[in-house]
Formats: sequence, C-alpha cells, structure tokens
Amino acid sequence: MNYTWFLHSKPLRNSLTLILVLGFGAFLLLPLLTLVLWAFADRWFYPALTPQEYSLKWWGWIVGRNEIVKAAYWSITTAPTVTLLSALICLPAAYAFSRYEFPLKRVFYVSLLAANAFPKLGLFIAIAAFFFGLGLVNTFWGVVLVQLINTLVLMTWIPAASFSAVPRELEEAARDAGASPLRVFFTVTLPIAMPGILVAGILTFLAAFDEAQGTLVVGTPNITTLPVLMYSLVNSYPEPVGAVFSILLATPSVILLILSRRILLSGYLAAGFKGG
Amino acid sequence: MVGFLLALPPMVVLFFLILLPAFEAVKFSLGLVPEDNVAYASGLNVIRSNGPTLEVFEKLFASPFFQQNVRLTFFVSIVSVLILLVVAYVLALYARFGKGRLPSIIRTLYLVPMFIPTIIASYALIVFFGDNGLLEALLSRFGVPYQTIIRQDWGIIMGQVWASIPFAVLMLSSGLDAISDDHIEAAKDCGASFATILWRILIPLNIVPALIVATFTFIGVFGSFTVPYMLGPTVPQMLGVSMQVNFTAFRQPQTAVAIAVFSFAVCAVAGYIYVVATTRQNRSQQ
Repeated sequence: MNYTWFLHSKPLRNSLTLILVLGFGAFLLLPLLTLVLWAFADRWFYPALTPQEYSLKWWGWIVGRNEIVKAAYWSITTAPTVTLLSALICLPAAYAFSRYEFPLKRVFYVSLLAANAFPKLGLFIAIAAFFFGLGLVNTFWGVVLVQLINTLVLMTWIPAASFSAVPRELEEAARDAGASPLRVFFTVTLPIAMPGILVAGILTFLAAFDEAQGTLVVGTPNITTLPVLMYSLVNSYPEPVGAVFSILLATPSVILLILSRRILLSGYLAAGFKGG
Repeated sequence: MVGFLLALPPMVVLFFLILLPAFEAVKFSLGLVPEDNVAYASGLNVIRSNGPTLEVFEKLFASPFFQQNVRLTFFVSIVSVLILLVVAYVLALYARFGKGRLPSIIRTLYLVPMFIPTIIASYALIVFFGDNGLLEALLSRFGVPYQTIIRQDWGIIMGQVWASIPFAVLMLSSGLDAISDDHIEAAKDCGASFATILWRILIPLNIVPALIVATFTFIGVFGSFTVPYMLGPTVPQMLGVSMQVNFTAFRQPQTAVAIAVFSFAVCAVAGYIYVVATTRQNRSQQ
C-alpha cells in the first residue's frame, strides 16, 4: 500500500501545503496575538476566546511605576554606552579586516565568534565570578562590559563587509585627484560604508537593550534593566501587566529591525559565517 | 602591521571578558580559591586545596539532582537541534523552490522571532499554549482535550525551536541559494525525482551550513537560561537555570562555576566535532 498517493494529486498537495503554512504561521503569530489581546484586556476569563472587557488602565498603571522608571533609566543609559564603546573598539578592526593583510588575520576574524562558542550562561557565571574580584558586579560598567560581549561580532563583521563593498576605483580616483588618505576615508569610503555601519549600530543597540541573561547575573540587584525586570514582573503580576510591558519592550526592536530589514536580508549574517 | 594593531582591541576585550574568566573558572572549580576574591571566599560549601583537585566535580557528579539536570539538558539540546533542523530545512527548501505567493509569505514569516526578545517570546508562548491559555480555550470549543506542555521538558523544546527558526532558516537558505540551478536542472533532465535531488545533491552540498546550525543551536540551547526558566519544569532544571540559582540564591559560587566548566567541556566537544566535520568536508571537495 502506497501511503503517498495523495501527493500525486495536485489539489490535495496544494491544500496540504496550505495547511502546513497556516499551521506554521499560527505557531509563530498566535502567541504574539494573544499577548497583544492581553495588553488591552480588562477582564478575560477562560474559556472566552477574546477578552470580556477591554481597557487601557494597565498602560497607565505601568508607566508611573517606580521600579519601571528605574529600570528604564538603566536600559537607556547602558545600551547606548555599549553601542558607542563597541563602535570605538570594533570599527577600526572592521576596516583592518577589510583592507589590510596581517598575521593571524583569519584567526582573529573567526575568534570574534568565541562568545557564541561558549554556552552563554556558563560564560556569564564565569564572568560574574571574575568580576567579583574586580568589584564590577552590581555596577554600571560591569553590566556594560557583559553586554558588550555579544556585540563584538556584529560590530566587526557587518562593517567589514560594507568596507569591502566600497569600490576601490573610487578611492583611487580621489587619491589621483590629490586627496590625502584621511580625506579619502572620510569623504569617500566612510559615506559609502555608512548604511552597513548603521545597521551594525542598530543591531548592537538591540543586542544590548534586549540582553537579559548576562545582565541578570552580573547586575542583580541594583542594575535592573527593562528585560531583567520582566523575569519578576511575569511571576508577580496579572497577565495584562506582563503583556503591556512586553509590547513596550518589543516596540524598539520591531521598529528598528523593520527599518534595517532590507539591508539585513542582503546576507550579511550568512556572508560573515562564510568568512566575508 | 597597521592592520594587526587596528584589529587588536576586540581581541583584547575577548581575552579579558572570555578567556581569562573561563581560565579563572577552571582554576576555581579545581579547588584553587583566590582568597582576595570576596565572592569566592565567602561562598557556602567552598572546597579549598593547595593543588588542583577533582573533589568539587566528584561531589557534583554524585548529586542525583545534578544527574537529573544533565539528562534534561542533553535531552532538550539534542531534540531541539533535531526538530529545528527538520523544520528549518522544510522551510528553507519551500522558500527556495516553492512558486507563487505562499513561499514569499514564508520568507517574511520565518523572520518574525528575530524581532521579539526571547523573554517576551517565552511569555507569549505561555499565555497561548499554557494552562487555560487561548489554545486550550479554542480546542475546548470543539471538545478536544488539551494537556499543556508548558512547564515541562517539551515546553522548553518548543520555546527553543520558536526562537531559533530565523537563524537556522537564514543559514540553510543562504547555502541552498549558493547551489546553482544548472546543477539541479541537469539532474532533473536525467530523470531524478525531487527526493533523489534532495538526498544526493542538496543535502550533501549544504552540509556545512547545516552543521553550523546544529552546533550553534546545540551550544545555544545547552547554555540557555531564559527559555528553560520561563517554560521549563521547576525540577529538574536545565544547567543554565541550575547555575544561576546556585550562584545567586544558594550562594554556592563554586558549584555554579563547576557546572559552568562542565558545560564548557561539553560544548567544546560539540565545537570540535563541527571543526573536524567541516575540515574533512573541505578536504573531500578539493
């Protein structure tokens, strides 16, 4: 008996595909939709499929909370600091990977992935234990450093790829016209590479802004950022609180990622893994 | 030389934030306790020794809780990788070879989890798939009984697969895109079925991206905290959760660090298998 007979019938095959695609879409999207419904629900008792009453009261409740204002303060001070620091450290390196030959280049390039080759929480525990000796646990800079780790590979690989994409002829033409190397860099190379650098900056900012695990281990109890607060919020408050907070927290990611989506899709990630 | 100097700063950061802490962790787990480190010295149940000793690990491996946690961690990591590979391969193949509007919808859809921080995704999965969640309410309309997997091992696996889909599909798709259409057309002209093309051409040529997905997902899941903390059972715990609890709540930094070192060792083996497999693949292609 052949069990795949239905695959030979086109309508049956098409409807099977449609069911699978719908199932996949439901698996990805329905949980998020449920969360959005909860954020605007006043009362939603099981087994109703939609809330019995809608209201915005939890939005007002959450915005004025002292702990949330404090967490927001730490989030909007750490994430930009990480982004700037990461750019300072990595952009010159990105340029070097794109334009110079030097010993250990390949090793350096691949070792940027080191943070991903370690089981994350093991690494964070080791770092926290190490930071204790340096007095960095529970401090602003301790959190900045632990968030920095995940950003190095983004801030190097993506700008390196965009530096490499700058046509050499343009730079040489500018040199021939008498421009100094620095001038060529700032008027030709940098502007052309800028979109890639901006995407790297956005991804770095988000990586730092959304980082929860390392910040939890190194920053507790004083430096609680917004994602870290989420761990305790979802366990100690009714569903709408976690839902409203989720939407507030996810909004920057969604906006920034949609803005950078076109450039993202052009394959920087995969290109990086193959070695640029 | 200029290039070397410019590329040095990130390497220095990696040295101080990854290599040195990992090295210190190994020393601490072997009983070499630096007394100037308050956290180490004031921790509970610290084993001190003048030379390296395996006492910490012997005690750890003898603990039935740790054994349970290790079993759960391996089970979740391996099953997550297998399910993710199958799901991501189906999606990548469909996005590459499917025709019409549906595949282009899939190409946008699979990116969605990339936009959502893991902790929010976990919470969303709880309110949908959890006890008295929307799915249970939906199914009860049709009289279908529902047993939630949230707060169980399969709940963790579901969360890991959900969150890892974009990376896996992106990697596999980029590999599939690199395989030329001529190759596939030639095989079709010879009368090869899609199954043959998949088994003989696509999977072998796309083995390195698949290995990258498998290794990185395994390591990522093995060392994860958020998903098992939110979606997993209270007992047993995955090692990431167990480390965090030992480090903070139980005030046993040495136990936490020893578990961390154990997880480094396991993931080093996974990394080694990946390196060996890819170099062998590269050699056989030459």
